[in-house]
Amino acid sequence: MTAVHQFVPALLPRDATGDHTRALRDAFRAAGWESEIYVEAAHDELQHEATYFEEYPARARPGDVLLYQLGTSSPVADFLLGRPEPLVLDYHNITPESFYDGWEEHTTVKVALARHQVAELAPRAVLGIADSAFNAGELTALGCPATEVVPILVDVTDERAVVDQRELARLAGRHGGATVLLFVGRISPNKSHEDLVSALWVYRHLYDPDARLHLVGPTVTPDYAAAVFAYAAELGLADAVHHGEGLTQAELAAWYEDADVFVCLSRHEGFCIPLLEAMRAGTPIVALDAGAVGETLADAGILLPTARPATVAAAVARVRSDPRLADLLVASGHRRLADFAAERTRRRFVEVLGRVADGDRVVA
Amino acid sequence: MTPDTPADVDDAVTDVTARIRYLDEVMAEIDAEVRRRRASGDLPAGLERELDELFLEFSPVGLQGRARLRETLSLVDGSAYVDTAVPTASNKAVGSYIKRLIRKGLGWYMGFIVAQIVKFAWSVSRMFHVVVDHIEELEATVETHRSPDLPAEVVPEFHPGSAWWSAAGLAALSTATDRVLVGDCGDGRLVEELIAADVDAYGVDPSDLVLEPALARAVDVRAESVLDHLGVVADEALGGILLTGSVQWLRPNERERLLDLVSTRLAVGGTLVLHSTTPEGWASSVAPVVRDLAPGRPLHAETWAHLLESRGFHVDEPQRGGDDRRLDRVDGATADADAVNAAIDTINVLLLGPTEYLVVATRER
Repeated sequence: MTAVHQFVPALLPRDATGDHTRALRDAFRAAGWESEIYVEAAHDELQHEATYFEEYPARARPGDVLLYQLGTSSPVADFLLGRPEPLVLDYHNITPESFYDGWEEHTTVKVALARHQVAELAPRAVLGIADSAFNAGELTALGCPATEVVPILVDVTDERAVVDQRELARLAGRHGGATVLLFVGRISPNKSHEDLVSALWVYRHLYDPDARLHLVGPTVTPDYAAAVFAYAAELGLADAVHHGEGLTQAELAAWYEDADVFVCLSRHEGFCIPLLEAMRAGTPIVALDAGAVGETLADAGILLPTARPATVAAAVARVRSDPRLADLLVASGHRRLADFAAERTRRRFVEVLGRVADGDRVVA
Repeated sequence: MTPDTPADVDDAVTDVTARIRYLDEVMAEIDAEVRRRRASGDLPAGLERELDELFLEFSPVGLQGRARLRETLSLVDGSAYVDTAVPTASNKAVGSYIKRLIRKGLGWYMGFIVAQIVKFAWSVSRMFHVVVDHIEELEATVETHRSPDLPAEVVPEFHPGSAWWSAAGLAALSTATDRVLVGDCGDGRLVEELIAADVDAYGVDPSDLVLEPALARAVDVRAESVLDHLGVVADEALGGILLTGSVQWLRPNERERLLDLVSTRLAVGGTLVLHSTTPEGWASSVAPVVRDLAPGRPLHAETWAHLLESRGFHVDEPQRGGDDRRLDRVDGATADADAVNAAIDTINVLLLGPTEYLVVATRER
């Protein structure tokens, strides 16, 4: 019987990698395969779904395929280097340490270690699965013998999210009819929140003095977040920049619904799930062409060659003043979402992992 | 802002090619809008740069040189201590008890190991302190060898907009698709000429005084040196760079830094235009004070070409111009004409000839 077991550093609820891992396990089981999740740590809510990774050797069976969800440094990587089973990497990208340099030394060390582990694992793997061609390129450069591009398995594509109407009314009450720019993503230096603040300042200066910037995401680099909000305050934007975190799915859907334009100026993205969430919500997208953003977005948004605030502000103004353009972007977004439909991605994973399990290791 | 919407927008909804073409047109209109706003003065000159600098004030990344070294050193000091009091909180009642038991049981063992690790960490930290102190001493010594500033009244003035080479420089940069930087832009006339040619240009010049006319005309210029400015520009952000003025007398290490910056900040396919005095022109036409106190000397065009080619540039044949002070040869019928003309040729080659040149180079890799 085919068995594909997944290894993941941490299994967390309401987390993209955690949701992806559990959805994949369900897909493998639905295909009639054995599939368990091995972890370094699991959240209390998910303890019953996970097994500590060092227990795997006692359960190993001939023919097992091991799939590693690679997005951070972990002792799991060293453990897998010593295993004889065919190893497949599911690479979600790791932010280069240069982004954290000067901001958070321990994160710099952690991501440098993670990148070192990717470099060790890539040549050892029989196959690398990447969320994007951008990520696949990194694996290939590190010596991975074969790669396949399969998107992350996220359930944002199937139907419109339920919107928390009370939250939506609360947000609308705060800003009236002013333009609302939204970005969703952790507050971390590679996401370039300061460029969003600069763009807001220029937008207010040139187009709409009441415009607001809504930022949603956890604060993972506190010094950086403090600098971003201090910068906003210095520009007189303390009341115009609104931060939300710890939102439920319905509340998050309300923030998307409330926004006029989703603006992403991130300098490094391996995939960028919030782009799909914005597409689903029908929020027009303006994004910097960096990392895998252009690939994920395709023609479903305005792709900027630069994050210069004047250009970003002019792009947002163009979307706001041209309803036909906004409608076109929204329609293109809905069409683009179909490429990431969960059922389609499930089939791709089963097909690709099935070939590995059958011994056809070099796939590409 | 009331941009035109292409007539085929409805087709664009379903046709991928039409959609991409339409989005390209929208992007071009966005670029035009930005240029219009800059030209009208709605976007104050140097605004974007000021915003970047303001954010750096709140950023540890903004610390440069000695301050950054000291900041990093304090981080090393702060992390040199290892705490053996492992947290024992647990969601399960028995879990906390077991963790406390383990901590207590292993305390003597961990304490011994950690004491040695901390000792090692403090030794490393002390070593860094010694190194940083030594670096600061070296910096102080180097500072004493700094060249004196040139008296303002003897620094040659450049009016690139009216110079012999400006047409060729403009032509070389007219096809740039990204922003074009004009170094030592003076009164900003060349920047304006580039903007008039639909090039998204801006300028820098270290002298506030020189920039005043440009600022009065709302030209996008900033008061800083080319080196300082290129130091904060993102890699491959520029479609063209025009260098003139003080680039001619940079110190050797500054020239190396300039070449490194130009070969990274310029996008692949971007154009570098470099205007300089020839060494002969420098010797014959520049004020003695400048010649004596300038930190460096102008290079020959061939030397710039060599340096640029070694950094992945394709360099066109240099163009020469400016004052031509070569002596005319004497009539062949004059007594000793051959000997005199040979001497004139030698003098022309060694001391006279065109006083300026223009190098146009394209980044290939």
